[in-house]
Amino acid sequence: MTAPSSAPVRPPAWSLPRSAIWLWATQGLLGTLFWGAVLAAALLFVPTDDAPLSALPWAGPAALGLYAVVSIVLQPVIRHRVHRWEVTGEAVYALTGWLTRTWTLVPIARIQTVDVTRGVLQQLYGLASVAVLTASSRGTVQVPHLPQGVAEQVAADLARRAEQVRDEAT
Amino acid sequence: MIVEGGSPPRRTSPLIVLVHTVTFRQARQVIGIALPIGAAIGFDGGTTAVVLLAVAVTLASLAFAAVSWWRFTYRDEPAAVVVTRGLLARSTRTVPRDRIRGVEVETPLLHRLLGLVRVRIDAAAGSATGQEEEVVLDGVRRTEGERLRAGLLVRRPAGPADDVPPGAGPAERPVEEPPAEEVLARFDRRWLLYAPLVGSYLAVPVAALGALMRLVDELPGRFRPEFDGPDVAGPAAVAGAVVVALALLAVGAVVGAAVVNWGFRLVRRGGSLVADRGLLTRRHTELEVDRIRGVTVTAGLGMRWVRAARVSALVTGLGAAQRRGQLLPLGPQDLAEELAGRLVEDPGPLRRHPPAARRRRLLRAVAPGLVVAGAGAVATSLSAGWWPLLVTGGALAALGVPVGLGRYAALGHAAGPRSFAVRSGWLVRERAVLQRRAVVGWQVRQSPFQRRAGVATVVACVGAGSGGYAAVDVAADDVVPFTRAASGSWADAIR
Repeated sequence: MTAPSSAPVRPPAWSLPRSAIWLWATQGLLGTLFWGAVLAAALLFVPTDDAPLSALPWAGPAALGLYAVVSIVLQPVIRHRVHRWEVTGEAVYALTGWLTRTWTLVPIARIQTVDVTRGVLQQLYGLASVAVLTASSRGTVQVPHLPQGVAEQVAADLARRAEQVRDEAT
Repeated sequence: MIVEGGSPPRRTSPLIVLVHTVTFRQARQVIGIALPIGAAIGFDGGTTAVVLLAVAVTLASLAFAAVSWWRFTYRDEPAAVVVTRGLLARSTRTVPRDRIRGVEVETPLLHRLLGLVRVRIDAAAGSATGQEEEVVLDGVRRTEGERLRAGLLVRRPAGPADDVPPGAGPAERPVEEPPAEEVLARFDRRWLLYAPLVGSYLAVPVAALGALMRLVDELPGRFRPEFDGPDVAGPAAVAGAVVVALALLAVGAVVGAAVVNWGFRLVRRGGSLVADRGLLTRRHTELEVDRIRGVTVTAGLGMRWVRAARVSALVTGLGAAQRRGQLLPLGPQDLAEELAGRLVEDPGPLRRHPPAARRRRLLRAVAPGLVVAGAGAVATSLSAGWWPLLVTGGALAALGVPVGLGRYAALGHAAGPRSFAVRSGWLVRERAVLQRRAVVGWQVRQSPFQRRAGVATVVACVGAGSGGYAAVDVAADDVVPFTRAASGSWADAIR
């Protein structure tokens, strides 16, 4: 972990598969391509002779390059190091984010539904996301990018255990 | 259609057609279409055309109201309330009784004149999706409204419903005399004096004025009253006008508060809390005590000056919780605290947050002013004409200091044996007191800045109210003890 002493709570035990890094990097690449296209269009069609826009021909590509490095290289690696998850005997626990970190803990007794989603990109890498929902709009545990088999197994297991120990769930 | 054990379909009172005709309840939807058509045909033709148009619109409204009354039926069966409506496409909505979270009886002025009421049945349909559903029975007789209200809320503890002979539908059940009735709060006319200091009541006269202006605008020119703008001369006249305007605003706020809250009474009757209020529109709200997970005590800046507060209940699965959950709309703080304490045990005095939290609040409040001042300084160095920006930035930064300190002073959290509390906010300070069982999850958030300052934000996720109540900038070391003390042993997972 990168934040040793001042982390308020302990990190969950399990990390995500390495293919999650590639998925995040692919997302970063797509984002970079999109902004590159926008920038190219702006350079082609917007006259850049006036004072405030005269910086665009060099500032635009520089900003795009910075964005590319952050979103394709740095962010996926940091995310992979930060993201963790765990299912304990009584609760589901996950840590997400890359700059701002969010730890979410939900007791199995209060789980209302468990969702598994597979996005287009995720299917490319054989990954799936698990979302554990409760009666509160804020109390949702998101575990992104688990291997598909693991995600389905976790969801089925949590749903079954929630059924057994459910109290009033609100 | 007769359902075994149920009652025959009932209709609302035909008198409601009269009310809806006058208020254009259904016709309102077609006005958007009708107006352009009318404009296309042309309104010229003078007063007769206007009168004819008014008659036509009224007749259309009558027709709409009559049709929707004719096609609307409801049935209260032992297990559910079934509402059927729709002219051509019939829709039937079935609300299971155990899903009914609250029943509200409203009596607007016109309804009251005709002896009618409007019953709103609040039912949560699968709280996971967050969608709330409401069934409105508009225009039943007052006795029928009372019967529905008394009969619909399922009372967990076996109530007097047990001695109803089997087979007798709820229709035959007498309106039982409520067991023990305890008045928790009663309106005091002196509380109205708080109203000019409450933002939402101040908005009442402003909104009324706006509506009036729009109406005057839409009147044809020759019906518009003519008056010239006052001749404003000199600062004395301006000051006088401002004083008069402020006085009118204050009076408007008091009148608004009186109209909404007149005769407010909060009663505990068996397992329910019953709130009545309103001068013109009488509102009767019933909540199940069993579903209350916590309360919030809120007070705006102005209300804190005069030690006033309002109390709302956080009820699971209750739609429009802001309005429905209100337990004390406006009252002295001592009473508010006492009322909150009777519903949810007070967890004790709040713990202050660490000095790092104060630094962060101050910085965040001052920073926008500093940015503006910095931009102003740069601009002024380039051309002297920009000094107002510098001054504005400085003033904003200076104003940020009390704001930041105020925000810090509001922060606090406490955990007691059966409940816990968090407080935050500056313009509107909100203290949420929640039961331990209310927590359905914890969320701990830490930004890079918070990490450096050694603090974190802890959000208690709750299936009621706004869904999450945050203790902002708690010391990182306090997070685990607080979550453990404020919820069950499952929170040990993050230790």
